[in-house]
Amino acid sequence: MTVLVGRKIKKTYGKKSTAQEVLKGIDIEVNKGEFVGIMGPSGSGKTTLLNVLCSIDHPTEGVVEINGKNLRNMKEKQLANFRREQLGFVFQDYNLLDTLTVKENILLPLSISKLPRAVAESRLKELVKLLGITDILNKYPNEISGGQKQRTSAARALISSPTLVFADEPTGALDSKSATSLLTNLENINKQKSVTIMMVTHDSVAASFCSRVLFLKDGAIYTELYRGDKTRQQFFQQILNTQSILGGDGYDA
Amino acid sequence: MTLSRLVLRSMRKNVKHYYLYFFALIFSVTLCYSFTTLHHNPTVVEALKESGTAAAGFQSATFVLYFIITFFVLYANHLFMKRRSKEIGLYQLIGMTKGLIVRLIALENIILFIFAVALGMVIGFFSSRLFAMILIKLLKLDLVIELVFSPKAFTQSVIIFSILLLVILFQMTWMVYRVTLLSLFHASKKADERIKRFNFFQMTFGLLGLLLIVYGYYESSILFDAEKSLFKDIFLHMLVILASTILGTFLFFRYSVSFIMNIFRASKKGHLKIRDVMAVTQIMHRMKGNAKSLTLITVLTGLAVGIMSLSYISYYSSETRARQFSPYDYTLVNDKGISFLDRLHQEGIEFKKDTYRVAEVTFNFQDLVGDITNENLTFSTESSMYVISLSDYKQVVPDAQINEGETIITSYQNMFSEVVPLEEGGDFSVQYHNEEAKFVLKEVQEKFMLSGTITMASPVLVVTDTAFENISANQTSESSFNYQVGVNLVNSEDIPKAEEIYTDIQEERKLVVNGQEYLPLSYEEEKQGYLSIYGTTIFITAFLGLAFLLTTGSILYFKQMSEAEMEKESYTTLRKIGFSTSDLMRGIYAKQAFNFGVPLVIGLLHSYFAVKSGWFLFGTEMFTPLVVTMVLYVVMYAIFAVISTQYYKRIIKASL
Repeated sequence: MTVLVGRKIKKTYGKKSTAQEVLKGIDIEVNKGEFVGIMGPSGSGKTTLLNVLCSIDHPTEGVVEINGKNLRNMKEKQLANFRREQLGFVFQDYNLLDTLTVKENILLPLSISKLPRAVAESRLKELVKLLGITDILNKYPNEISGGQKQRTSAARALISSPTLVFADEPTGALDSKSATSLLTNLENINKQKSVTIMMVTHDSVAASFCSRVLFLKDGAIYTELYRGDKTRQQFFQQILNTQSILGGDGYDA
Repeated sequence: MTLSRLVLRSMRKNVKHYYLYFFALIFSVTLCYSFTTLHHNPTVVEALKESGTAAAGFQSATFVLYFIITFFVLYANHLFMKRRSKEIGLYQLIGMTKGLIVRLIALENIILFIFAVALGMVIGFFSSRLFAMILIKLLKLDLVIELVFSPKAFTQSVIIFSILLLVILFQMTWMVYRVTLLSLFHASKKADERIKRFNFFQMTFGLLGLLLIVYGYYESSILFDAEKSLFKDIFLHMLVILASTILGTFLFFRYSVSFIMNIFRASKKGHLKIRDVMAVTQIMHRMKGNAKSLTLITVLTGLAVGIMSLSYISYYSSETRARQFSPYDYTLVNDKGISFLDRLHQEGIEFKKDTYRVAEVTFNFQDLVGDITNENLTFSTESSMYVISLSDYKQVVPDAQINEGETIITSYQNMFSEVVPLEEGGDFSVQYHNEEAKFVLKEVQEKFMLSGTITMASPVLVVTDTAFENISANQTSESSFNYQVGVNLVNSEDIPKAEEIYTDIQEERKLVVNGQEYLPLSYEEEKQGYLSIYGTTIFITAFLGLAFLLTTGSILYFKQMSEAEMEKESYTTLRKIGFSTSDLMRGIYAKQAFNFGVPLVIGLLHSYFAVKSGWFLFGTEMFTPLVVTMVLYVVMYAIFAVISTQYYKRIIKASL
């Protein structure tokens, strides 16, 4: 079953004379339960693509459909509701609210839903156990580590049981140990709860956790790799190889 | 890029960015300059010449105005310097010396300031006519105000604003030099509280704050009730009230608010509504940094509304007071100027007249007030009082009735009746010509009939006709007032003509009693006298009130502006994860209601209790003037809340 469809997505910035085409007609399809990675050098349009797909940004041309719904036909308020109910987000710099405790941060997306408190509470319990952050629920973001912050952020993304989770460089600010632990968690959640995840990353290790990796170059899809039955290590090698073919400095930082 | 280009660029950006600071500066200058111009306007000077206090009032008000504006501009400048700390840090980072940065910002400030002052002066010059017209209207005079450029006002303002500019430059230099590169980057975060969990200390102080405010209110309600209060000295008493309410207000903002919100938040067990996220948690987060300014705003609001209410009470009571001092339109004393009546007849002016025989006694009202323990009311309890007979009293109160030995004390109200209430049913004695008579006080009335020229605002004693004959024997017109004719016109259209006649026979009306010369005033003259004093007062206080309002409103607005900018990131996050602008705005409304509403409500409460404790010293009616002042203040204050909310809306809209 297809969760997300993007057709001929184009995105242009600037006025006509100085127009810069960041996305040059991208077609993409994501099925339920997939864990898709998007890779590519700086300026290849990874984040722009993610923003367009997740309705934060509007494409200049083309169609984005999530669960069969065309995003273009929705008003600001509808889009916001749609994001809150159907989508989850994990950002590179966590984007937790400093004024809220970990628990309050996680429950934030439910703050205008009519979900009964008991249901919310049981979902929370399950998630924090899965992510290993049960002990820090009453702490404030400034009292916990980066890895814990990102796991909190992941819990927030998952609390509303979204159809699709978007992650933008979720490991970008983490050390490798925290990164591996977060990715393992995401992989588990992807498999156990069959949550569809779409992740932008420039880290080949992170990408090797995905079931499919798209490579972007100059605003177009260059190639894509499926993990299939390969081990993570094999897949990682394959990603590295593709990156070197992709050229440039490959590993952007 | 040259220095001048950098200055111009950053100015263009800043004028757009700090336009409210710029407008506030212009507005301050406008206010100051029009006030000084007004002060030097020949027509106004002429109109105010009669009352000697007006000029002094204007002078001191000018100083207060300068003070407020200096404070305000310094505060605003401080806030904006803090907001620009990153920019300054960046300049330092790229290798500019602090001296160069100071020159850069100084140049920018000087240009901005001169521009604002010039503009403000032009507007101030024209608006001074409007203000002058308001003043003339308040004084109920019929004058035409001309626009006059006053070199004196101009020089004075230029000097003052030059000094202010120097102070700002000094403050700016000090701020740039004092801070290190590192702290510059953190300056905007400094005041934020790292949230701690609920603790006992906070709860105690939170409770103490509320108690102190309530205690202050209680003490203010018994300010003149010496028996109930611990503080015998009235000034000490006032100081205690002031200290307790101000400290209470601070503790309230610093601890009680967080305390109450903490309880609320804890009860939610993590399941917050979006409004709580946007309002409650943000307010709690910033309470430490905001407590001082919110206290300041509350106190200033209380002060401004209190002072304006009191002066409005005075102004509002002008006519009543004039009526109390001149109960009749025209008064003739001891038969002097009785030809006034003939002249009225000749002109065909209809009138009614009452006549009173008057006698003087001394009496000690100690007998009637029980125990005067308030040591501050150190006036002698022995005083002279004027007596009229029951039959004369019946001219104004036809159904009055007393028996032999009984009396009515009338014309007793306001200040006296509030501070020294008389006990009905008590007995007391009066002295006249070495004789003494005992009376019982049957009732106390507020009706006025004798002119203030006679009574000097002391109450009037009504006795039976027989008693009056005893007292009035041996009193002559040389030694005391003994006769009054009160005249009321039937048609008010006749007032101008009657006034003319009354003034015309001024010489005839003069009387000499005990070697002192007296000239009774007509009601109209009396009223005009009050109006000119209180009209000027209310004008000046309203002007200052406006300056206070501007200061408090702008400070709040500036604070909210920087809060909005600091929270911008959170708005971005919230919008990304699926909250619409209107969801977030619901929280913003609550937050604005708190930030603007709570200081306002507490400030108004403060002023209510302050006014209530002593309004009777200022006038005869409290409710209407107080409510009118409050409503006007709230309406103008609300403008700031609205533009602040609009600012948030813009930030939130632009955050995604």
